[in-house]
Amino acid sequence: MRYIGKPILRVEDDVILRGRAQYVDDIEPPGVLYAGFVRSPYAHARVVKVDLSDVRGAKGVVAVFGPELGFAPGGKVRYQGEAVAMVVARDRYLLYDALEKAVVEYEPLPAVLDIFEAMKPGAPLVDESLGSNIASDEVYQGGDVEGAFREAARVLEGRLSTQRVIPAAMEPRGVVAVYDGAMLTMWSSTQVPFDIKKEVAKALDLPLSSVRVIQPYVGGAFGSKLLVYPEEVAVAKAAYMLKRAVKWVATRSEDFKATTHGRALVLDYKVAVDNGGRILAIEGTVYADAGAYYWGEGLADTAAKMLPGPYDIGAARVRAVSVLTNKTPLSAYRGAGRPEATFFIERIVDAVADELGLDRIEVRRRNLVKRLPYTNPLGVTYDTGDYPAVFERALEKLGYYQLKRWAEEEWKKNGRLIGVGLSAYVEITTFGYEAVVMRAERDGSITVYTALTPTGQGLVTALAQVVADELEIPIEKVRVYWGDTAYVPDGIGTMGSRSITAGGSAAILAARKLKAELSKAAQLLNCEPVYRGGVFHCGDRSATIQDVVKAVLRGDAEAQLTVEAIYHAESNFPFGVHLAVVEVGPETGFVKPLLYKSYDDVGQVVNPLLAAGQIHGGALQGIAQALYEEAIYDEGGNLITPNLAYYYVPTAHEAPRFEVYFAEEPHPSATPIGSKGIGEAATIASTPAVISAVEDAIRKINPRARIVKTPADPEYVYKLMWSARG
Amino acid sequence: MKITLKVNGNIHEVEVEPRRLLVHVLRELGYTSVKVGCDTATCGACTVLMNGRPVKSCNVLAVQADGAEIITAEYSDELMEKIREAFKRNHAAQCGYCTSGMLISAYHLAKSGAKSEEEVVEGISGNLCRCTGYQNIINAIKEVLV
Repeated sequence: MRYIGKPILRVEDDVILRGRAQYVDDIEPPGVLYAGFVRSPYAHARVVKVDLSDVRGAKGVVAVFGPELGFAPGGKVRYQGEAVAMVVARDRYLLYDALEKAVVEYEPLPAVLDIFEAMKPGAPLVDESLGSNIASDEVYQGGDVEGAFREAARVLEGRLSTQRVIPAAMEPRGVVAVYDGAMLTMWSSTQVPFDIKKEVAKALDLPLSSVRVIQPYVGGAFGSKLLVYPEEVAVAKAAYMLKRAVKWVATRSEDFKATTHGRALVLDYKVAVDNGGRILAIEGTVYADAGAYYWGEGLADTAAKMLPGPYDIGAARVRAVSVLTNKTPLSAYRGAGRPEATFFIERIVDAVADELGLDRIEVRRRNLVKRLPYTNPLGVTYDTGDYPAVFERALEKLGYYQLKRWAEEEWKKNGRLIGVGLSAYVEITTFGYEAVVMRAERDGSITVYTALTPTGQGLVTALAQVVADELEIPIEKVRVYWGDTAYVPDGIGTMGSRSITAGGSAAILAARKLKAELSKAAQLLNCEPVYRGGVFHCGDRSATIQDVVKAVLRGDAEAQLTVEAIYHAESNFPFGVHLAVVEVGPETGFVKPLLYKSYDDVGQVVNPLLAAGQIHGGALQGIAQALYEEAIYDEGGNLITPNLAYYYVPTAHEAPRFEVYFAEEPHPSATPIGSKGIGEAATIASTPAVISAVEDAIRKINPRARIVKTPADPEYVYKLMWSARG
Repeated sequence: MKITLKVNGNIHEVEVEPRRLLVHVLRELGYTSVKVGCDTATCGACTVLMNGRPVKSCNVLAVQADGAEIITAEYSDELMEKIREAFKRNHAAQCGYCTSGMLISAYHLAKSGAKSEEEVVEGISGNLCRCTGYQNIINAIKEVLV
């Protein structure tokens, strides 16, 4: 392989670094109109009357749409920022002037914001038709839970919670739709153009072949753009009705309320342990603060099923409950259930070690799954790996013990509060099918259409590497196109760390099909040719891809020049160990991450440069969850962190130095490409590693400090450090 | 009001409403490298150089820039090309949305004679990036400092 495994520089950068990459807001079809939404200031209210008469008469306004478009279903709004009407104007400044003139009469209803309050009988109902605020309630179990608790030497219990966070991709969501009287074309800042196509075709009763959805460059997504949103459907409807181009781009404050939030899971747990620190069973409930609509299905469930983590826990019973509240709907955010599961189990393992007076590393060692494949008690089968060997190698490579000693010396010599923390994780990545269409051009170059939906990962480069290797041709001859429903039958998109494994495998299968097709050039050579380096050989005669394509176009040979492959992926399970070093301000409780190191077994690494980029960015997001970010609502359901001035996305000042390692002897997945997911690994592993490091630091002051929630913000850390001095 | 802007060496005479923001006027003139990422002058995606100083163009009225010399990320000279190469070599861009602002801040750091990593970190602390974790950006900029 000439390209796979090498740090190939990104093709995408040539466009991006000249400022020429087109994002949704850079697309201005002729005569485009601008849409904006009238949004509820209330968290929960009945919509009594929507009066848009002044809006209709305002300067520049072309059309107004009220509840008839499907806003405020059931005649009420369920979270602050929910849309109740849409205005379309010819200029953005005039649009915002006009939006001010909307008069909406609300009858405020009591808002329910806390999940435990929401579950009490008599609580205000977010969705009356459900009869309660519980949107989903499932129990996952396996093994002899009762027996394990009977035999346990110790039982530990507690509550662990993760805060609600805002994904805050740098590009707010936006969409452009054009209807020309026959077909509807849309550009959206999305991860799911194929889902939008299906949804919009249904909403407008158009054939799928008349709806084309294009994903242009997207300025980050992190799971927050993987749903079809009401605005996308509304803008499509407006374009259809007006037969004009209509564009909506969220302002940042609008995006903070109208785009899904993440995390917000709480675990109540009980674990049975023996005297040696072996965890025998775990029992508990994962609660999700699902927000106003149950859009983020299965987040609590994923966390429940992955709760045992990389540890061989014989028995488990975990309930997953999703609770509606009057907040922005919860959905996937980079990791979607696995970061929470990993935070929970890593906190529990640390607690077990502390309670039994054992070393945290030793307790992990004793509990790690010894042999793969392994099915956890909740029925999830981890595919390949060697956790004990990778764990030991990681400790060595990350320099865990040296760093611990250094932190101790810094404390003794200089009074610095430095902590070192470590986490081990296993996660589930990759699912579903992915499609690739591939065409041989008459000059021998290859055009590839992927259904993947890159949002910064560098997949155009990575896929080109894969195709160039499979066809044994120079990478410059491969061009990858993405994000256009017109060229690929269907697909799922980029999410769940699935892209290079599912999409790359589809690309390999397509390349093999193309080779098989083109080898019909045997007709030209009168033999069964052997393919080598982009050329079909028969003894001393040969034909290049170019020769074959030309022959087919001339009518001298018959072969398909365009092939398609649809790959159905099995899930795979990356394993790794991450380490964080932090410094705590003794007078402020402020935590500065100093160093972050990772060691991951993600199977075949396709491009180590891009893979490291995923670790850096993912880790900083997980660090931010551990320390800085939180979507805060007041008791009235007002989001009081409504934009980037109030919501703490880390700057370069907060970023640690990163050192990234991948397993020297990786365990590939059973897929054509052999890779495992990398996109979410560091978001999953970093939060528990950082929290463990903070705890390690502040225990120099308060040896009994135990962190049980994120974020460990300055106030929390300060109080934990100085109150109840042990 | 009629204003004159010199953008990347090109002179534009435009009629603007007094309330119009510089970022919108630049984008309407076709300089779409300049991005809007927030409403609060926090994210830095709209950073441009105005008379040699980095400003967040979402916090400047176009009329305030009358007669000013503006540099955006479409600009090309030897230094900017060096910065681009360093960004590519270091995988300093992911989604690309913050990149234009980062390029401008990098250009300003290099021009103003910054030398240390501390200066680089401080110099880009007004530019948020959600993808890269900043390290590759910092490394790229350090490579072009003299």
